[in-house]
Amino acid sequence: MATTTSGVYIHVIEDVVSKVREEFINNGGPGESVLSELQGIWETKMMQAGVLSGPIDRSLVQRPTPGGGPLTHDLNVPYEGTEEYETPTAEMLFPPTPLQTPLPGTADNSSLYNIPTGSSDYNTPGTENGSNADTESMLFIAATAFSMDKLNPRLDVNVAYEPERGNSNPQFTQDLFVPPSGKRKRDDSSAQYQNGGYIPQQDGARDAMPKANLDGNAFCITFVSDRKVPRDFTCSSSNIPQVDGPMPDAYDEMLSTPNIYSYQGPAEDFNDARTPAPNEIQTSTPVAVQNDIIEDDDDDELDDLESGEDMNTQHLVLAQFDKVTRTKSRWKCNLKNGIMHINDKDILFNKALGEFDF
Amino acid sequence: MATFELYRRSTIGMCLTETLDEMVQSGTLSPELAIQVLVQFDKSMTEALESQVKTKVSIKGHLHTYRFCDNVWTFILQDAMLKNDDRQENVSRVKIVACDSKLLTQ
Repeated sequence: MATTTSGVYIHVIEDVVSKVREEFINNGGPGESVLSELQGIWETKMMQAGVLSGPIDRSLVQRPTPGGGPLTHDLNVPYEGTEEYETPTAEMLFPPTPLQTPLPGTADNSSLYNIPTGSSDYNTPGTENGSNADTESMLFIAATAFSMDKLNPRLDVNVAYEPERGNSNPQFTQDLFVPPSGKRKRDDSSAQYQNGGYIPQQDGARDAMPKANLDGNAFCITFVSDRKVPRDFTCSSSNIPQVDGPMPDAYDEMLSTPNIYSYQGPAEDFNDARTPAPNEIQTSTPVAVQNDIIEDDDDDELDDLESGEDMNTQHLVLAQFDKVTRTKSRWKCNLKNGIMHINDKDILFNKALGEFDF
Repeated sequence: MATFELYRRSTIGMCLTETLDEMVQSGTLSPELAIQVLVQFDKSMTEALESQVKTKVSIKGHLHTYRFCDNVWTFILQDAMLKNDDRQENVSRVKIVACDSKLLTQ
C-alpha cells in the first residue's frame, strides 16, 4: 500500500485510468491511445508541479486483475453501467407497458431501475448498487399500487384490464347512485343531500367522490375523501375544480404542484459544485445567522485579497469535516480525508484537529 | 450520484482538469467523457484518502474569517501552525475548505 504522498497520487491516477478505460474503449470511445495520452500528460504536469516524484515506480500500485472488469463489486461504480449522464434512451425514459401492472414476479428489474427520475432522485451514494435501487423503485411502484387498491377496490384503471372482472361492471353502475359505504361514514351530514343531484365522477387520479349540496341558491359540490379538504369549498355549477393535496387558496389553485414555489433553489443546487447534494441547511454548530452579518464587514476588505491570491499561491486545505464547534471565541473542528497544499508541498491527512481563536 | 468536487481544486485535481481541458480543446476528447473522468477522479480520490492515508495533523491559528454556506465550511486562518508527526509548517495565511462528511454516507 502506498504511504507517501507521491505513492497515493500514483495510485489515484492508476485507479482513475483503469476505471475509465472501459468508457474509452467501448461504446465508440476515443480509444486506448487517447487514454494513455491523458495519463501521460497528467503525470507530466504533476511532475512539473513537483508533487510527483519520478521515475514512477508502478510496482507500488496494486493493479486490478487483468481482464478489465473488477471481480469484486465496487460500490463506486454504477451497477449496470447505466450512468446517469448517459443520454437517456426511449426505453429508459418510457419503460414498456407491463411496468404499469406491477404483478409480483413479473416485474422486470432492469426496467424498474430505469424508471424516470421520480424515484432515482432520492438515491443516495450509499445505495448505489443496483439491487437497492431496484428495491426502492419496486417499493415505490408497489406502494402506489397498493394504496390505490385500498381506496377503490372495485375499480382501478391503472391496473390492466382483466376480463374476469365481469362482476365489477354492474357494481360500478350501481355506484353512480349509491356512494360507497366507507365514504358515507366519513360524513353523515351529506347524506341528507343525496337527492339534490348526485354527480359521481371517477377517474384514475383517485379524485374525491363529489357530493352535491343545495345551500340556498348556490349549487355546491364538495369533495369528500380521505384527504383533508375543507367542506366549504364552493364552486359554480359550470366549473368543477379538482383539488389534490393540501388546500391551496384561489391563486395557487392554478398550480399543479405547490412544491414549485417552495424555497429550495433546485437550479442552484445542481449547477453549483455538487459538493453538498441535499438542500437542507444543517448546521452542526450553534453558530447562527450572525455569520453573515459579521462577514459583511470583512468582505469588503478581504475580497480584494482573496480574488488576487485565491486559487494559485494560497495555502489551501481541502477536507471533509466531522464536527465544528465553538465556545465563545474558541473554535474546534474535526476534519478528515484532506489534502493540504502548504509552502509548495502537498500533505495528505486522514484526520485533523483544528483549534482556532477568533 | 453526488461526489465531492472539492478535491478538483488540489494540485492533482488541477493537473487533471488542465489536461482534460487541453484535450477537449484540441478535439481529442469529448466534453462528456471529460466529465466522466472528473467524476471518477472524485470517487477515486475520496476512496484513496479514506483507505491509503493514515496521517494525523493538528492545526492552530487565529481565525480571521469563518463561513458556513451550503453545508461547506470555509475558514481563513492567519499565522497558522500545521503540525504533522514529522514536521511543522507555519504559514501567514491559509484557507480551509471543508465539506460535510455525512453527505457522502447518507
